[in-house]
Amino acid sequence: MTKLQLRKFINWLGKEGYSIIGPVKEGKQISIKGITKPKELDLSGCLPLYSFKKYLIPPKEILFEYAGQQFKSQLVSKKQALFGMSIFDLKALLLYNHVFEKDPYYQARRQNTLIIGQVRMPPPQFPSFQIWQEKYEEDVLEHLQFDIFLGSQRKNGKGINFRIYTGTRIGQEILESFGYKNYEHIQFAGPIKEEGVEPQILEVREKMSKYFNPKIWEKLGKICIECGKCSLVCPTCFCFDMKDEPDLKKSQGIRTRRWTTCFYEDFSEIAGGHKFLATTSEKIHNWYWHKFVRIPDEYSFPGCVGCSRCSMVCPAGIDICKVLSSIRGRKKGEPEVCKIL
Amino acid sequence: MKNPYQPKTAIIRKIQPQASEIKLFTLEFKNQKDRLEFIPGQFIEIGIPNFGEAPFAVCSRPGDIEWQICVRQAGSLTTKLHTLKVGDMVTLRGPYGNGFPQIKDKNLLLIGGGLGLIPLRPLILASGEKNQKIQVFYGARHTKDLIFKNEYKLWEKSVDLYLTLDKECPGWKGHIGLITTLFDDTKIIENAVAILCGPPVMYKFVLEKLKEANFADSDIFLSLERRMHCGIGVCQHCTIGSKYVCKDGPIFRYDEIKNLPEAI
Repeated sequence: MTKLQLRKFINWLGKEGYSIIGPVKEGKQISIKGITKPKELDLSGCLPLYSFKKYLIPPKEILFEYAGQQFKSQLVSKKQALFGMSIFDLKALLLYNHVFEKDPYYQARRQNTLIIGQVRMPPPQFPSFQIWQEKYEEDVLEHLQFDIFLGSQRKNGKGINFRIYTGTRIGQEILESFGYKNYEHIQFAGPIKEEGVEPQILEVREKMSKYFNPKIWEKLGKICIECGKCSLVCPTCFCFDMKDEPDLKKSQGIRTRRWTTCFYEDFSEIAGGHKFLATTSEKIHNWYWHKFVRIPDEYSFPGCVGCSRCSMVCPAGIDICKVLSSIRGRKKGEPEVCKIL
Repeated sequence: MKNPYQPKTAIIRKIQPQASEIKLFTLEFKNQKDRLEFIPGQFIEIGIPNFGEAPFAVCSRPGDIEWQICVRQAGSLTTKLHTLKVGDMVTLRGPYGNGFPQIKDKNLLLIGGGLGLIPLRPLILASGEKNQKIQVFYGARHTKDLIFKNEYKLWEKSVDLYLTLDKECPGWKGHIGLITTLFDDTKIIENAVAILCGPPVMYKFVLEKLKEANFADSDIFLSLERRMHCGIGVCQHCTIGSKYVCKDGPIFRYDEIKNLPEAI
C-alpha cells in the first residue's frame, strides 16, 4: 500500500464512523491524538512518547452514576480506530485483554475499537532493546492481537510502502470493503513464542523472586523521587483507585475509576495509617516486581514490553536496561545494555 | 456482561455499640436473591454513595440470614457509617476472598489481637463440631476496647476463652500483658491448627511463640489486611509479592508466605 492509498484508507475509515486516533508530530515530540485529516498523522515510524493506553484504559472513567442507592452504568462507547500502535503497544494490549477480560467497561470499549498496528521504534539514543527487522515481522506478529498491521517496505529509491497484514476477520472485512485485497493474514498463535519466554526474562524473574541482591533497591530508593512519571508513560501500568465524586444534588454523584501508581503515598495505606509500601525502595521494588514477577506468574508473559519510555521520562535518570542488567548480574564482557525484550 | 462492580443494597437492621468508636451493624439484603453464603474469613465491600467502598470481614454466624460487620470509626466512610441509623441503607459487594480452611480433624487455637477478633467470630459462633476443641486468645489494649463483651459468657459454653489486656485497667481482674504472654501462662491446646488475626506488629511475636510450641508452618493460618479498591484482583493495591490478598487471601497458610519479606 502506498502512502497515498493509506491516506485514502484513513479518510474512508473516518467516513465509516471511526474516530481516528494516531501519532501526530508536535514540535519535536510525537503525541497520540484524535485527527480529522490523514495528513496530520506522523508516518515516520518513530515511537511516540505516550502509548495508546488512555484510549483503552481512560485516566478517569465513570463506573456508575448514582442517585441514592441506585447505581447505573452506561457502557456505550464510540467507534475508534487506533492507528499506528507499535509492537510495544500491541504487547501491552495483550496484557489489557487479560487483565480486563471480565471488565464490562473495557470490553465495551475494546469491541468498538479497531486496532491498526505499525512498525515503530524508539529513537536511536535508546538502542538497547531488540531492533526490529523486516524478516521478523511474521514471527513477531503471530503473537500479537491486531486487526490490521502496517509493515514497512522500503521502495527502491526514496520513500516507503506498507506491507499490509490482517489479524482478525474484522480487519479483512474492512480492507475488502475499502477495496484493498493485497494483504496477508496472520493467525494469532498465542502471546508466547514457540520457544517460550526469553531466557533473560526468566532469569530476571528467578533472581527477583529469590530476593537476589537487595542492594539494588536500596540504591534505587536513594535516587528515585517517587514522581510516578514512569507509571504514567508505561503502557503496562494499569493500577487504579475507585473513588466517589459527589454531585451538588443530595446523594447523587459518580463512582469513578482512575489511574494511580504504587509510588503515591496512599497506595498501600490502611485504616489507622499503616503503609505496607513505606519506603521508596519498597515502592520501586514493587514496581519492578509487578512487571517482571507478578505479571509473568499470572499470565506467563513479561509485564514489560521493552519500549524504554520509563527511562526517557525519569527525572532521576533511572534506566530500566541498567537496572535489569544489575538484577541479572552482568557477565564479564557483556555490554551494559540489555537485549532482552 | 456481568458487572463485578455493581453493588447490591442492604438495610441496617440493628446497631450495637461495642467499644469506644466501634459498632456492630446487622445488615439484611434488600433483595434476598442477592444474598450468597459466606465462608468465615471472607470479606465484603461495604459502600455509601459519596463515600466510596471499603472491605470489612463478615463476622456473623455462617448461614444466618442477616450479616454483621463490626466497624471502628477510622476514615470518612466509617465515620459516615457510624452516623447511620437503623433502617438506613448501605451498598454491598461480595463475599470475596478464600476464607478460613475447613478444619475438622484438629483442634483450633484462635488468636485475635484488637480488632483481629472480628473475622474470628464466625468460627466461634459456629463452634460445636464434635471432637474439636477451640481455644481463643484475645488481647486488647484497655477494657474500653474489648469488643463482643456481652457474648463471652455464651462463647465460653463451647470454647475456652482467654482474655488479656496490655496494661492494668481499673476494675480488671483478668490477665495482664501482651497477647504473647498468654502463651507463657496457659496450657496450649494440643493437636491444633492456629489461626491468627491482628495488627501487623502482632504476627511476628505470636509466630515466635507458635514455633516454640512446635506448630508446623502448615498448621498456621494468618488473616492479612491490605488496602483494597476493586476486591477482585485487578487494582493491585493489596498485593504481596505475586499474591493478591483479596483473591488468594485474605487467609494465608504460613508456609505460603513466609518467604515473602513484605507479607509480615
